[in-house]
Amino acid sequence: MGRYGDMMSNILCAKGIKKSFDGVHALKGVDLTINKGEIHCLAGENGCGKSTIIKIISGFYRPDEGAIEVAGKGFPVMTPTQAIKAGIQVIYQDFSVFPNLTVLENLAFNQVLANKKRLVNKKEFRKIAEEAVKKINFEVDLDALVETLPVADKQLIAISRALLDNAKLIIMDEPTTALTKKEIKRLFEIIAALKKNGVTILFVSHKLDEVFEISDSITILRNGENVISCPTSEITEEKFAYYMTGRHFDTAQTRKNMKKNIGAKMLEVKNLSAPGFENVSFELHKGEILGVIGQLGSGRTELSLALFGLLKPTDGKIIMEGKEVKLPNVNVAHKLGIALVPEDRLTEGLFLSQSIVKNITVCRMDELASSIGILSNKKSVEESDKWVKGMGVVTKNHELPVQTLSGGNQQKVVLGRWLATTPKVLILNGPTVGVDIGAKYDIHNLLRKLAEEGMAIIVVSDDAEEVIETCNRAIIMRSGYVTGEISEEALSREALALASN
Amino acid sequence: MKKFDFKKILKHTEFYVFVIIIALSLIIQARSGLFFANNNIVDLLRSLIVPSIYALCALLAFVSTGPDVSFPLIAALSAYLAIIVTKAIGYTGSAFLVFIFAIIFGMVMGALNGWIIVKYKFPSLIVTLGTSSIFNGILLGAFEAGRMDLPQPLERLGETSLLTVKNARTGLGSSLPMTFLIMIGLYIITYLVLNYTMVGRGVYALGGDEISAERAGFNVKAIRFGIFVANGAIAAIAGVCYSVMSMRYLPTEYEGGEMIVIAAVILGGTRMAGGVGTLKGCILGTLLLTMVSNSLILVGIPVSWQRVFIGVIIIIGTAISALQSYTAGRIKSKVKKEAA
Repeated sequence: MGRYGDMMSNILCAKGIKKSFDGVHALKGVDLTINKGEIHCLAGENGCGKSTIIKIISGFYRPDEGAIEVAGKGFPVMTPTQAIKAGIQVIYQDFSVFPNLTVLENLAFNQVLANKKRLVNKKEFRKIAEEAVKKINFEVDLDALVETLPVADKQLIAISRALLDNAKLIIMDEPTTALTKKEIKRLFEIIAALKKNGVTILFVSHKLDEVFEISDSITILRNGENVISCPTSEITEEKFAYYMTGRHFDTAQTRKNMKKNIGAKMLEVKNLSAPGFENVSFELHKGEILGVIGQLGSGRTELSLALFGLLKPTDGKIIMEGKEVKLPNVNVAHKLGIALVPEDRLTEGLFLSQSIVKNITVCRMDELASSIGILSNKKSVEESDKWVKGMGVVTKNHELPVQTLSGGNQQKVVLGRWLATTPKVLILNGPTVGVDIGAKYDIHNLLRKLAEEGMAIIVVSDDAEEVIETCNRAIIMRSGYVTGEISEEALSREALALASN
Repeated sequence: MKKFDFKKILKHTEFYVFVIIIALSLIIQARSGLFFANNNIVDLLRSLIVPSIYALCALLAFVSTGPDVSFPLIAALSAYLAIIVTKAIGYTGSAFLVFIFAIIFGMVMGALNGWIIVKYKFPSLIVTLGTSSIFNGILLGAFEAGRMDLPQPLERLGETSLLTVKNARTGLGSSLPMTFLIMIGLYIITYLVLNYTMVGRGVYALGGDEISAERAGFNVKAIRFGIFVANGAIAAIAGVCYSVMSMRYLPTEYEGGEMIVIAAVILGGTRMAGGVGTLKGCILGTLLLTMVSNSLILVGIPVSWQRVFIGVIIIIGTAISALQSYTAGRIKSKVKKEAA
């Protein structure tokens, strides 16, 4: 009896699911089989059809072709209500909470509405809510407004609410995106406990380490097609990346091939302090990539802001090319040749509704304009063309708004914009957050190439892997202080783990 | 059950509005000695009636969808139509039926707002601005509405008063009209609906997160449509009340009433982005602005300066709530830091 042949042990079996939107095939015949009680990971790059299949399973979309069985029972047409009745619950990335209402109401609404009650009975609300939080031993003030809670708690509200409806299969759509490491650990403990209680989890993610840590089996999609389904133990990290992208990545090779071209001292920071960090000193040379590694709240973001003139230092010196400089605002930093690729590209880095061309050329408008200040459209397009091609931005037309691009391509646009200004010091804060593997690899390679050409780069990140792959040196920040420095020879996952704990 | 939590009270905008009201009334009293006079209080309550009914429209719209600026003209047009119909059929019975006429007309106009907003997902500000203009055009252009005497039922209602007082010192008198009860009634009904029915909670839920509300099982479209229909009805009631209190129908007096009402509601802590707003805040905000426009004259501040005062209060009031959400954000990031 094969593990994948036994119908009785399946909680969900979707076969040959096809779905098109306006002639575009989002799913070209996808199979998804999930065993009862397992943690199943659904992986794939952006646009591979992950969210479409979730919406089909939960009844929000109707497939063009294909069959869905839940616990052996066929559903020719699945509606959202039927899916919930069958025990399928989706925890969306936004958690579907009401920030303006209390935890109590957030927990109770679904059930009260499902029972078609018209009036509010506070006692009943409280009973439902207490029952919900008890399921995962979630301690929270039921009368608190949800908007005052941290992201992780909002997620736990969503999970306990899902459990109320006797969820048998919980689908979590990229649940770790907005969480800190600690919160992810807590979430994984809860997922493990749910599994113990017989709840099946479909964990949607493209983060390698998480998938290997938590899941029992994996289904990988690419371009709306199945690539592989197998137990997680049968797959390696390299294969995982290959299956997701269809490309081979040899990160070890990248690192080995690192050409070193370290030149003169470019930037020196001496005892710099600002709200968020204190007494930070380091040097950065031409052709060098310095990693600044630290958790959320370690002062890493504040440091990057201070070096770009967005945060006023209270003490210390910034010395660039041997001269002490003051950075009262972004314009000065810009003129000195400092560029920052910010942490949150959506709100801080991009004009989402504007075209790719405008996003790339916005920092160079002065140069692209004629002497009386009129922008040359032709020049802009040429300039942007150069970067779109050079960075490998995947798009049909660069007049399209940036928001139509995937995360990785958006990040390439932000990078392209700053590179167009030919900076001397490039600071990147979380350069590959929310970016899929292929684009991440491209961005890392690009950084190496820029360093080889003599640019001085600072990579601010909480991703140890990223720092190891790209950096020559790393400093570690914790609670606003630099707590250690690791040289290139010693730069390894173990050393970073040791230093940051 | 609930403990008295002073810290929690400090977080509410309503509390600050309340403090300002007390302070202002004490200042006016100290300077003029006329604020706490019986006739002034009754005058104040009287002037509060129509704006505070309007405030319900503004509140419901803000919490669920966004600004509604059409209520003064729905009030004007539905009151006009109700009066015309009453006169045309020669009805002389209870004022209740006149209100029903107005409510029906108001609901139709509100339904027009609701239909456009729900069906085409247009911003409510634009839609209600547009319909306002249409209603105004119909009222003054098509119907050529002018000043009118009231039909008998409304006239009788206007002549009865709930309470009449006379200040022994100044000899000034004032009376509280029956419409005061209508306002109290509307507040009680709205309070019950908003807090004790699932539809009422849905109003807040959909203002908080529309997609979540849909996923939770609220009928988002029906609730939103219902709100604008209800707003039409409430505006119509306010419209008739206004004519009853002026003992005359004055078609041009309605226009422009929306801005100060919206300001009052925002001042009372209603969030412009939706999802947050209380009746308490609504009435306190309205009371404060009514006080400023009514009572500053008692301390000898000329009418033109009142507008300056109102402007300052609005800015300070909104600044307080903006400051609160700013500090709330800071506290959150602090907690995050500790957790990391």
